[in-house]
Amino acid sequence: MRGAGSVLTWLAAIVVASTLAFMLGGYATDVYRKMLIWVALALSYNFLFGIAGQIAFSHFAFAGVGAYGVVILAHKIGLPFVMAFALAMTLCAVLAFIVALPSTRLEGFYLALATLAFSQLVLVVISEGGELTGGTGGIANYRLPSVFGHAIRGPWYTVVLVLLVALTLWVLRRLDVSTFGRACRAVRDNPDAAAAMGVGVARTKVLAYTLTSTLAGLAGIAYAYVDNVVNPPVFGLENIFLLLFMIIVGGSGSHIGAIVGAVFLYLAPFVLEPIVGHGFLVVFGVLVVLTILFQPSGLAGLLGRLSGRRTA
Amino acid sequence: MADLFELAVSATASGCIYALVALAYLLILRPTSVINFAVGEWAATGAFIGVAVLTPLAWPRLEGPYWLALLAVLVILGALGWLVEVLTVRPLIRPGISITSPILCLLGMLVIFRESLTILFGADPLPSPPPFGFKRVAFGPFAGASQQFLIIGVTLSLFAVVWLFFERTVWGRAFEAVALNRRAAALMGINLRRVTAFAFAAGAMVAGLAGLLMSPLTSAHYMMGLPLAIQGFTALVIGGVGRVEGALLGGLVLAVVEQFGARYLPIPSGLTLGFPFVLLIAFLFLRPSGLIAPREAR
Amino acid sequence: MFRMSRWAVAAAMLLAQGTIASAQDTIKIGVITDHVASAKFYAEPVTRGVELGAKALNENGGVLGRKIELIVEDDQNKPDVSAAKARKLVDDGVVAIISNTGSPATQQAQTVSLETKTLHLTPANSADTLTTQLDDPYFFQTGPLASIQLATLMAYTKSRGFKSAAIVRDNSVLSQSFADSFKQGLEKAGIKVALEEVIPQGATSAVANLQKVRAAKVDAILQAGVLGPEMLQFFRAYQQLGMKEPILGSYNLSIPAYLTMAKDLMEGVVFVDAFDTDKPEAKTFIQAYVKEYKEQPGSLPAYGWDGIHLIAQAIGKAGSLDKEKLRAAMQSTTNFVGAIGAKGTSWGFRDGKRAGFDPQGAVVRVIKDNQHGPVVYAGQR
Repeated sequence: MRGAGSVLTWLAAIVVASTLAFMLGGYATDVYRKMLIWVALALSYNFLFGIAGQIAFSHFAFAGVGAYGVVILAHKIGLPFVMAFALAMTLCAVLAFIVALPSTRLEGFYLALATLAFSQLVLVVISEGGELTGGTGGIANYRLPSVFGHAIRGPWYTVVLVLLVALTLWVLRRLDVSTFGRACRAVRDNPDAAAAMGVGVARTKVLAYTLTSTLAGLAGIAYAYVDNVVNPPVFGLENIFLLLFMIIVGGSGSHIGAIVGAVFLYLAPFVLEPIVGHGFLVVFGVLVVLTILFQPSGLAGLLGRLSGRRTA
Repeated sequence: MADLFELAVSATASGCIYALVALAYLLILRPTSVINFAVGEWAATGAFIGVAVLTPLAWPRLEGPYWLALLAVLVILGALGWLVEVLTVRPLIRPGISITSPILCLLGMLVIFRESLTILFGADPLPSPPPFGFKRVAFGPFAGASQQFLIIGVTLSLFAVVWLFFERTVWGRAFEAVALNRRAAALMGINLRRVTAFAFAAGAMVAGLAGLLMSPLTSAHYMMGLPLAIQGFTALVIGGVGRVEGALLGGLVLAVVEQFGARYLPIPSGLTLGFPFVLLIAFLFLRPSGLIAPREAR
Repeated sequence: MFRMSRWAVAAAMLLAQGTIASAQDTIKIGVITDHVASAKFYAEPVTRGVELGAKALNENGGVLGRKIELIVEDDQNKPDVSAAKARKLVDDGVVAIISNTGSPATQQAQTVSLETKTLHLTPANSADTLTTQLDDPYFFQTGPLASIQLATLMAYTKSRGFKSAAIVRDNSVLSQSFADSFKQGLEKAGIKVALEEVIPQGATSAVANLQKVRAAKVDAILQAGVLGPEMLQFFRAYQQLGMKEPILGSYNLSIPAYLTMAKDLMEGVVFVDAFDTDKPEAKTFIQAYVKEYKEQPGSLPAYGWDGIHLIAQAIGKAGSLDKEKLRAAMQSTTNFVGAIGAKGTSWGFRDGKRAGFDPQGAVVRVIKDNQHGPVVYAGQR
């Protein structure tokens, strides 16, 4: 009963989110698509940061590896798209695993610094990569090839992004309620106690990092075909702060929180910019500080409390 | 050979800047275990206050003397550091709250500081005048800009004072006691709140001083904070988070590797940009305690 | 402000049907600029030139008997935001988009102009790849291509018999692309690139870099820097080390902000510009600028001024706002003489090319007394 209900909820949400794609104008579509990418990234980052408790600054670097990986493999080297896609995902996973092995041994903010160094190195490689990465100019002039004979264009690509978010959410929720998810939370809250309970702390950390970073790579691949351009600035450091803030404001550790936080902070500048110009970044900073101080469970916690009261 | 000595002066001056930022981290980190990434923005704030006091380029366009700029930086940054501690850190340092909460809260403060500076002073870099001009000065084979010698002199004196403070005064002992064991220190009658507030104020002052000192070399601009925060932290990791001397040593090592590497290693200049990151990664993984081991390890 | 006025227009349209005609009468042109981020210091002056040009055109009766209305959007020099803002402008009904921020942003915005067949112009971007990377027939570029800048510099210095040069840059995207085209141009001219030095963002000294340049005993230093603070350190170290090698710079050095930032340090620096204050068309522009802003303009606003005039001319020539006709009219532009460009040169998109800067249009100037000095050389012959 409950299972059937939740399948229906999923279907309804996907249909509504997809229908929206066919009703929006050019600008709104663009905003909607980039928002969906942010939501996908926020979901996987929330698992890494909120559930597994790792502060890593490498999420956008892996999105960049995915995006550049698929574009180079499919359009510079000329592999069939499906193969390029699979290879790009594999590249992300392998690279994440290699980074995770030593990095996840680091405590707290030291992990952030090590992964920050890694993302800077990735940025140096893509902007100094010469012909292969297009250097600072990036790569343009490619299009999503037909996949199994289907050319996906216009609003249908937006539907692909909706499915990306749905898939990311589904995978992460399944993981969250599994033994692995419980192990992640245990390691986050108290590694020593987790180890005493028989949880493989190192294994759990490495797995969580590798999995979420690969999902970031998937979102990066999807991003590569939004504007059909990839270039270095997008994968730089600036965006990682925003992603972290989305999770904090939304409510770290909660999937709904990640979605709400991403949508809220992504859309807020559109409302705030005409009023306060770029002062909206100050507003974001204040929001983060206030959330940590007074509402640690974020918007998700707030929503939960409100709906709880209504039913009670 | 003359190049070598002149480069040594340049690297020492840069290393002193990194060391000051590392010291700002350390003053806060020791008693609270909080890594305050906003120290870079505090340095930028110090640089902008300097420009505002010394030149007609930013409000209040005082064109005042250098001692006034120094005083303004110390007073304003001290107050800001104290305020930040009271408002955003104090409520979060207690049992049951993860230590990452105040760290993340300070990341929020970082953005607030940076964007406020942009709003107040604009996005263009503002030149900052050095107190003793930019003449080339030479002490024997050691040649450099007068500002570089000023930076070295001030930094070494400050480190000497801070070292004496920790080694020879009661307050310094109290700091160390808190760093080693908060609860035991509290039982001994040390006022934790006061120590923590003082740590933030002092850290902010040191960071502001670093910004004021370096701004004639780089100008004051809103993007200066983040690189400084990374350089200072790298210096801290290299030197070790436990001891004041570590911050100085770490800063110097970082700058020497950067600048002598860029000068003498036969690799393309573009790749030398990776040095600090490679150093950071290497120390984090291979020698997490840094070059100078902390006291409790002995 | 712009948004406010458009809300006002929309409200007026709802309330009083009679005002629709006047509201629809304007020709909307979109401008993408940067008010806060890394492209601000060149995007803002160029945009000011666009606004001044639009004002001048409107005072003379506008285009096709209609006034020009500018819609300005800010992309913070972020490529993904730039594309989004381009779509917003298209939704707002602009007939053309002027991109004034960085090259990567302009590149990504082209995705939109290609898809929506909207006339798209960058009046000041210089990257050679902008018109070659993507085959977007609606996109045009009138900024002085980096390759032309370098050829002009080389022509100027050829007589000096330079055999080797050093390139100094920072690690920003723009600086790197300048350095890349400098390298290609130098190699083509048979001049050896002895070394390329990078002063990274956040550096606190450039002594190591410049010592290395000095030790390489090059005949000239090509300054491809963009970031002010890092460029300041370059000049400080150059002065401290008592170096004498001539410094040659890109048109980026024509940004006036550097003169205040590196005051007294840039004496004798040679740089490429595309602006000759003695040219009659430049004088017209300078007159209008001084009248409006009460100060002498550098070359940057002149790019914007020319850009909006070029678009206005294309609209006039097309005789309608039909997208295809506009594109064809723009493509058929020849001999457009604006405020930018050496005397006797003009812009045109001949042979199907969409980069229109005259190969002879760049000039060489020398910095003197903290000012952009007079033109000392023009063209690349």
